[in-house]
Amino acid sequence: MIDTACVRDRLKAHAPLLLGGLILAALPILGGAYAQRVFTLAGIYALMVIGYQLIFGHAGAFSLAQGAFFGLGAYAAGIAAVHFGWAFPLTFALAIAFPLAVAALVAIPVLRLESHYFALATLGLAESAWLVGTNWAAVTGGANGLAGVPPIVIAGWTVARGWPLLLFVWCLVAIGGAMASARTRGLTGLSYRLVRERPLAAASVGIDGGRLRTLAFIASAGYAGAAGALFAHSLGVVSPDTLAFPVMVSCLTMAVIGGRARIAGAILGAVLLIHLPEWLRGLEAYYLIAYGAAALAVVIAAPDGIIGAIERLRPKRPIATPDAVGRPRRAAPPTGDRSRESESPILRLDGVSKSFGGVRAVDGVSLTVLRGEILGLIGPNGSGKTTLVNLLTGLYRADSGRIRFDDHDVTGRLAFDIARLGMSRSFQAPELIEEASLLDNVAAGDRGRSEHPPLIRGLSIEDRRLGEARAHAFDMLVRFAMAARANDAARTLGPALRRRAEIARALMSGPRLLVLDEPSAGSSSEEAAELAAILSDVAREGVTVLVIDHNLPFLARFATRLACLEVGRLIADGAPADVRAHPRVVEAYLGRPDGAA
Amino acid sequence: MSRPVLDVDGACVGYGGAAALARVSLTVERGEIVALLGANGAGKSTLLRAIVGLAPLQGGTIAFEGRSIGALAPEARIRLGIGFAPEGRRVFGALSVRENLDVAATGSRAARRRSAETVFALFPQLAAQAGRAAWQLSGGQQQMLSIGRALMQSPRLLLLDEPSLGLAPSLARDVFLRIRAIADGGIAVLLAEQNAALALAVATRGYVLRLGEVVHSAAASALRQAPAIQDAFLGG
Amino acid sequence: MATLAAQLLLNALALGSAYALVALGFVLVINAVGAVNFAHGDLVMAGGFVSIALAQVAPDAGFFLLPLVLIAMAALGLLFSAIAYFPLRSRPPVAVFISTIATGIMLQNGANALFGAAPRAGPAIAGKGMIAIEGLLLDRQSLAIIAAAAILIGGCHLVFTRTRTGRRLRATAEDPELARLSGIPVPGMIALTFALATALAGTAGLLLSNQYFVTPDEGMALMLKAYIAVVIGGWGRLGGALLGAVIIALFEVVVATLLSQPMAEGLLYAALLGILLVRPQGLFGEALGRRA
Repeated sequence: MIDTACVRDRLKAHAPLLLGGLILAALPILGGAYAQRVFTLAGIYALMVIGYQLIFGHAGAFSLAQGAFFGLGAYAAGIAAVHFGWAFPLTFALAIAFPLAVAALVAIPVLRLESHYFALATLGLAESAWLVGTNWAAVTGGANGLAGVPPIVIAGWTVARGWPLLLFVWCLVAIGGAMASARTRGLTGLSYRLVRERPLAAASVGIDGGRLRTLAFIASAGYAGAAGALFAHSLGVVSPDTLAFPVMVSCLTMAVIGGRARIAGAILGAVLLIHLPEWLRGLEAYYLIAYGAAALAVVIAAPDGIIGAIERLRPKRPIATPDAVGRPRRAAPPTGDRSRESESPILRLDGVSKSFGGVRAVDGVSLTVLRGEILGLIGPNGSGKTTLVNLLTGLYRADSGRIRFDDHDVTGRLAFDIARLGMSRSFQAPELIEEASLLDNVAAGDRGRSEHPPLIRGLSIEDRRLGEARAHAFDMLVRFAMAARANDAARTLGPALRRRAEIARALMSGPRLLVLDEPSAGSSSEEAAELAAILSDVAREGVTVLVIDHNLPFLARFATRLACLEVGRLIADGAPADVRAHPRVVEAYLGRPDGAA
Repeated sequence: MSRPVLDVDGACVGYGGAAALARVSLTVERGEIVALLGANGAGKSTLLRAIVGLAPLQGGTIAFEGRSIGALAPEARIRLGIGFAPEGRRVFGALSVRENLDVAATGSRAARRRSAETVFALFPQLAAQAGRAAWQLSGGQQQMLSIGRALMQSPRLLLLDEPSLGLAPSLARDVFLRIRAIADGGIAVLLAEQNAALALAVATRGYVLRLGEVVHSAAASALRQAPAIQDAFLGG
Repeated sequence: MATLAAQLLLNALALGSAYALVALGFVLVINAVGAVNFAHGDLVMAGGFVSIALAQVAPDAGFFLLPLVLIAMAALGLLFSAIAYFPLRSRPPVAVFISTIATGIMLQNGANALFGAAPRAGPAIAGKGMIAIEGLLLDRQSLAIIAAAAILIGGCHLVFTRTRTGRRLRATAEDPELARLSGIPVPGMIALTFALATALAGTAGLLLSNQYFVTPDEGMALMLKAYIAVVIGGWGRLGGALLGAVIIALFEVVVATLLSQPMAEGLLYAALLGILLVRPQGLFGEALGRRA
């Protein structure tokens, strides 16, 4: 009963897409042989665009090498077939493997670059490929290209042009789409979204954004290579045009117009833009001007592409509550390391300094946090507290000094790496995915218990992992007294709840040290008291807490020790009552009681 | 007295779904320093940003010298005579001290030079560093430069966001004494500050913000005594 | 031999001067709007064709083509920013990347439609032939290119350091919000930056067009060279980019003489990847210490 209702709902929700698909399918059916050729070409481009969405849409990195990977695939297949007489399945495999290997090789220098430098570096790669293709005439045929690439033959069966080729290509599109979907939905999809929209937050819960981007980049090259092989075999020739920039422009335009992260967007974009020159025959060779104008118009008017615009029109279904998902409840919320309780240091800073220009933000701070304690770090605004947190969580690199966490020297280690050792944090200005629900924002802190999921996996595994993460996140929301807002988008939350959402997300990864940057700012005294109680509770389970705040009454409720920073230096450290009475603290933190005048 | 230099009436600002400021009203008169007190997250910065137009006003009015400025772009409000030194000692790091001041001034070369000399007279430490790149300055000097930059268009209203931020107490006191001197020259000053004792030592009046609302306002001398201030300010 | 070496060096310097103008405009836009103008190379190409068109109208303009091209290209730069940048100001930089690529494609194919795909030679600004200096025969056009670029770069330097508008441009590039709070008309400054960057690009197009010809599809390679110059010189540093441009030209001329032009370009891109691997902050670069 429920199932049929569900199916009906889904049908209704996807009706525009189904209708669109039927209309598209009608094109080759009604159009004859020429229309079939065009539609086959659209499928080849769709495959390339599906791969491009991995790096551009999901990982959020603006690659300009996808066109070159397409060309490399086409040449790999063409050369293997023409010069060495390889059969199709082998040329196809080589066409995937070769660009994939090139991508893996350049991924290291290129992927750590910031957005536009990454884009330009990939463009440099593309130009190099084009130069090789046009100039290494002995192998590539130079400007003339390679002729005589045989049609696709599989186990003696020749896939003829027309319907067989069209269906073959679109079957591969379906397989490729399903594989891409399996890699980008569910919990991994959520991780990608956090990496893309809030990279600092992703690192803070131990997600290795670099690894995700690298995987996406390499996979995107494989898709482009596959498309290139199909292109070579279906046209029978490979020319340097396959390596030239217009291929990249087409691919980008298709992704932008269709939609950056949806398989349907890739298909829609490819079919529309491959047919555009047919529909605009008057423009003849200058269809690229129309491409440019279309891309420009869509970027300005519909930033999420056509599919994005359609989805915006459709009412959003609320995420099923974890109860409906069927909750394989995880045993209790994460607990810290209770076995080695108290008195042994979990964190030790030794003479840590950091300067920005002429300003010494943190100046020779030595500080020890003991296992199981709740250390409150106070100090006036600008005294270097947040800088200190950024240093110990790996966002900044210390100019000098050492930082030890547990048994590890974490000085200079990357943020995600430190987080994986068991230190997670919240931010002074909460880093939330504004359009995602509160539940998913918290669930994003779960990077999954299986760190290395199988390479090929079904859709259901990803969905189950997401279901588990949401169930776990829901428990966390209950604990933080905000479960009623689970389905609300993060942008609708008030300041107190935003901070709580971050703390809940930080706890999802099961840290042993929780570092909180002003958790009570923007909270009423009732909300602050409630938060203090929750945090005491968390600490009782063995999680050590380092909390920066100004709110002394809030800290007094649960901190076991206080330390005070002033102008980058530690000026007091001890029992809360002593630190609050310390004359330098009173002066630095409250101002001189007798005033300045 | 005539109408106030700044008159904020029922200002509302919301970020996302949550109200950051709820019906805040306050006035600042010529020559007085009005302290805006409260914990982090209470809405002090938001109010200052709303006054210069960086945070969109969702309700209420803001009048400068009797003229409603709610519809003006930030740069237009600055040119009307509002100086703003935002939080965090923001300066143009790659520009020299003199260039930092010059870009913020209007008028002829000679007029700009005169404005800069006025700032240098107020902050002699800056004069000694005039040719250095701003990012090389110490924190206190950067704060002085930030305030100096806000003074370059001879404003009649000066908005300061946490001028004590990151400064050692002696330096912070020094900066606050200069702020008093600026106000004594006839400029209305609205001073958002977390360090209540320091702010009230130089202020004429004060408002206490909490969770985006004015919960208390009184003369500085009265606020200095009020235990409620310490509470609200410390978030109790 | 000495003459050949001197000629080679002169060629490299002339090419480097033109590249320096390209790189200067490229960095100015990156600094001002925090996004790459992927059409920057196409604007150089447009400058080449604008020069050819202007030379047909005024065949004897010679050196006076320079100010004409500057003005025409500055106007194009304003138009460009109105189409490709201002509608997307509040969007993430990727939107600007896409819009500039799209606009670049339109420029490229527009030039293709108007002038054809074949390489065209642009006007010479200082006449043809050689001058004898100290017994060396030097190419007039190369000397003119170097002189023109030196004048423009020197002029830019004066504007940026000595005029208030120039300082305001720098202030806007560093912190647009603080610039607004200083009463600086930020949108106007950004439009001015596009005009200046495009004028410089267009002049480079004029200077390159005579010896190296203009083709509609040369834009990407030119933009990449500007980028490599930035990588060599250090992110966002104007002086570094100029130095990088000259190094690239030297490399290109020497390698092209010893091996071949495609080899020179290929090795250049390989060198780019190498630099990115070893020194991602740029060869001579050091990030300005600033609080995040």
